[in-house]
Amino acid sequence: MFLDYYNFEPLLAGIHAALCGVMPEWAALTLEGLAVGVAIMLMYAVLAVVLIYMERKVCAAFQCRIGPNRVGGKGGLLQVPADVLKILTKEIISLNRADRFLYNLAPFLVILASILTFSCLPWNKGAEILHMNIGIFFVLAASSIGVLGILLAGWSSNSKYTLIGAVRSGAMIISYEVSIGISVLTMVVLCGAMDIQTIVAGQADGWNIFKGHIPAVAAFVVYLIAGNAEANRGPFDLAEAEQELTAGYHTEYSGMHFGFFYLAEYLNLFITAGIAATLFLGGWMPLHVAGLDGFNAVMDYIPGFVWFLGKTFVIVFLLMWIRWTYPRLRIDQVLTLEWKYLMPTSLVILLLMTVCKVCGLTF
Amino acid sequence: MKRDDVIRMAGAEVCAGNAQVISIPAGELRRTAEGLRHDRDVPMDYLRDIVGMDWGEEGLGAVYFMESSATGGRVALKVAVTDRERPLLPTMSDLWKTALVKEREVFDFFGIRFTGHPDMRRLFLREDWKGWPLRKDYDMDSNPLRLDNETNADTTTEYRLLPDGTLAGTAHPVFGENDFVINIGPQHPSTHGALRMRVALDGETVTKVDPILGYIHRGIEKMNESLTYPQTLGMTDRLDYLSAHQSRHALCMCIERAAGIEVPERAVYIRAVMDELQRIDSHLIFYSCLVLDMGAMTPFFYGFREREMILDIFEETTGGRLIQHYNVIGGVQADIRPDFCRKVREFTAHMRRVIRDYHDIFTGNVIADTRLKGVGLLSLEDAVSLGCTGATGRASGWANDVRKRHPYSVYDRVDFKQVTRGEGDSFARYLVRMDEILESCHIIDQLIDNIPGGDFRAKTKPVIKLPEGIHTAEVETSRGEFAVIIESRGDKVPYRMHFRSTGLPLVHAMDTVCRGWKIADLIAIGASLDFVIPDIDR
Amino acid sequence: MNGFCKYMEGYFAGVKSLLTGMRTSMKVFCEKKITEQYPENRHTTLHIPERHRAMLVMPHDEEGNNRCVACGLCQMACPNGTIRLTTETREVEDGKKRKFLVKYEYNLGSCMFCQLCVNACPHDAIRFTNDFENAVFQKEKLVLTLNKK
Repeated sequence: MFLDYYNFEPLLAGIHAALCGVMPEWAALTLEGLAVGVAIMLMYAVLAVVLIYMERKVCAAFQCRIGPNRVGGKGGLLQVPADVLKILTKEIISLNRADRFLYNLAPFLVILASILTFSCLPWNKGAEILHMNIGIFFVLAASSIGVLGILLAGWSSNSKYTLIGAVRSGAMIISYEVSIGISVLTMVVLCGAMDIQTIVAGQADGWNIFKGHIPAVAAFVVYLIAGNAEANRGPFDLAEAEQELTAGYHTEYSGMHFGFFYLAEYLNLFITAGIAATLFLGGWMPLHVAGLDGFNAVMDYIPGFVWFLGKTFVIVFLLMWIRWTYPRLRIDQVLTLEWKYLMPTSLVILLLMTVCKVCGLTF
Repeated sequence: MKRDDVIRMAGAEVCAGNAQVISIPAGELRRTAEGLRHDRDVPMDYLRDIVGMDWGEEGLGAVYFMESSATGGRVALKVAVTDRERPLLPTMSDLWKTALVKEREVFDFFGIRFTGHPDMRRLFLREDWKGWPLRKDYDMDSNPLRLDNETNADTTTEYRLLPDGTLAGTAHPVFGENDFVINIGPQHPSTHGALRMRVALDGETVTKVDPILGYIHRGIEKMNESLTYPQTLGMTDRLDYLSAHQSRHALCMCIERAAGIEVPERAVYIRAVMDELQRIDSHLIFYSCLVLDMGAMTPFFYGFREREMILDIFEETTGGRLIQHYNVIGGVQADIRPDFCRKVREFTAHMRRVIRDYHDIFTGNVIADTRLKGVGLLSLEDAVSLGCTGATGRASGWANDVRKRHPYSVYDRVDFKQVTRGEGDSFARYLVRMDEILESCHIIDQLIDNIPGGDFRAKTKPVIKLPEGIHTAEVETSRGEFAVIIESRGDKVPYRMHFRSTGLPLVHAMDTVCRGWKIADLIAIGASLDFVIPDIDR
Repeated sequence: MNGFCKYMEGYFAGVKSLLTGMRTSMKVFCEKKITEQYPENRHTTLHIPERHRAMLVMPHDEEGNNRCVACGLCQMACPNGTIRLTTETREVEDGKKRKFLVKYEYNLGSCMFCQLCVNACPHDAIRFTNDFENAVFQKEKLVLTLNKK
């Protein structure tokens, strides 16, 4: 079976056994934990750089421009690393009348939520960092810590712009979590599992979006819209809304504190896309077309993490396309969209999926 | 009361100059104004401008330019008061809303207090400014550069003249104790320049807007009093930089009319083509800025892409892109380039094609629709009373195009529609401008093949002097009626030169239009009104 | 029922308008980009029209003579004191006194390119060029002396 070509599990088990041979198990676990932590951080940073570069190039192309093209050769490859370096060396300004503790805590909450969710992504067979049987439930829970950070940032800065931004963001994210929750639930109904690896493994004979047909496609669209809102990206970027609130909730942040918000925004985009790829497009499962055995065999040779990243980036591009096309919604429109359109739609989809599942109408 | 009735009044006198200003005694002003405003047949419901003047011996005073929105008939009144220590005039703010802001301007520069005006604060200068800068006896050294912060008072004063001749003041609050006031500007992405608005909010809902102006005031009117007529031309390009060509057209026309200079037909055509190109240029920026203010970054670049083509055409012929210095007294600076006509034709054809993309990506979009339709209503009555000319007024159903009402240049010879709509919301203001792009293309297409031969510039005397009197000329710039008012004493420099700002009434209208809408709407409304700050601040 | 129909109509019209928008932006995504690559295109595609006014110059012939007669009309025409002439009166051969140009100072920093000086000059001694790369680090360097001798 193709799954085993690139299964990480034997490799990881081997490393664990080797480590246990030279040290007690608790030490081996600590060491592994550290290594995995560093790996997550590195991957997080590298992906952020890649995403920011991609966003700059993609949005430039939508706007009949070229985008970064000076630093690091013709493609401007070193532009983002240069910006990262710049932001690292910038002063972190402390505000006079801010709530110092909460002000400093907020960016860490945002980044923490983002990293926790990030760790749940199934990269490959046997390469899921946080593995638990209620995985997708955990993702939903962890991602909602982020809004706390945003609310705190807006409140503790003691500025009117940030306060308005934070309140907008709070109202929006909490509303859209309903839709996200229900559309995820729809897929849980289809798969009958909450464990992310099981969800992916269940798609070996066809991606969920094909297995669940109409309700799954609808849930996919609802998830993308709500996920876009969760990631605070246009046309739902009214928490930042630079044309109205200069920078919204992070107006008063500078240096790396601002950088955390910025990083989290891009990684949340990736996470949203990654979860969508996992739930609907089969995660690291290759594309199989029934009857074309030769084609399927070729697809099997492509490693799982390539599939995962490929699918995720396709969705990321889709989200960027949306962002760079539409004007921003107003706060009341955002709430109308959620409560009058998306939420009822997702409830209907959930019902439809349950009926399909019960009647055996899914593949 | 009609114009003839005013002329027949005791003490009334028609002044020299093409403005046909009627001088009346100060005591008669209020009664005359009321009579004109409430005339049964042709009410003078549009107050074009109030121009403060310092006539020296004759005293301080103001000239009121009024117009009837129905017929386009005009009356101009002049009043002077001799008391320089405590000059007082009755307010007109209850007759025309635009007087609320125009009288503040006169107060700011001439120190004339308007009794009964509810908000007698300075408009452009710091609240602690010493003296009245546009008076002729103003000491230019009386206000050295100050680096301390200006505090804006939260109360304002209304003055009343008591029967015994003393002045009493009533305080009115600008913002209450419990108002949540945020500053939008002077450095803010969506104010399109250094404009500051103090906005009171109730949650996300706007309850009051108080624009604070003057952050880039350059005193152009004062400067012009020491410049010769050809030298003053350089300043008009720097007022509304998106109507540079049209503003300069107005000033040239005013000087030419007063001095009796005949402009060659070729120059008249070239000027009109340039004016229309400038209008398209400005409306493209309007589109770009509106979509950008609403958070859509991509269509912003579409507008700039096409605008670049206009600027290239401008630059080839005029040598300038934003500021062109092309009109001169008696014609234009240089003849058009040989490929000018071909390029303009290509551009209008391209514009007609590409504007469909603009509509596809933005106009039909459900998000844009719901954010603009029915938002920021400006009634026809308010539009006239506030003096909101240009596309903003036309979106409220006021057919106010100077090109139709008081045709100048070639506009009585070309065929074009005056685009008006009745809704008066942000979406109507947007659509009017988009349709005007096509109308301008239509005008250009008629002119471009028929530019007559001959001189492009009339011979003028080396020193230009205007005959005594008050002279005016007005044009339709990209954002409304722009007028030049020159008071000449027969010298080679103007005694007083005033420009009717197209943007000042629009900024003043923000308070009326934005109340009750969301803060995101405030930004979109601001963009849809389309003001340019240097033109307000002059 | 009517309300529901309206709701669904709005739903689909909205979705359609959103898709139209995405089609338009994708069209531009695939089009040729219009960025001007200045300064790389300085010697290739960059086109500065001949009439572009960027700096005042005083053309000199091969022997280094200019056509300025030091009449001062340009200085008088200038609205903001950008041009300053230093002249001296010398006696010429036939005994008449004539003004000669010593120094023609032009402050690029305060020039507003209104072309009044060029219009005023009776001998075409000055003109504008389209040489626009004039940025310097010190303000003083913006004051140029236009005459060579």
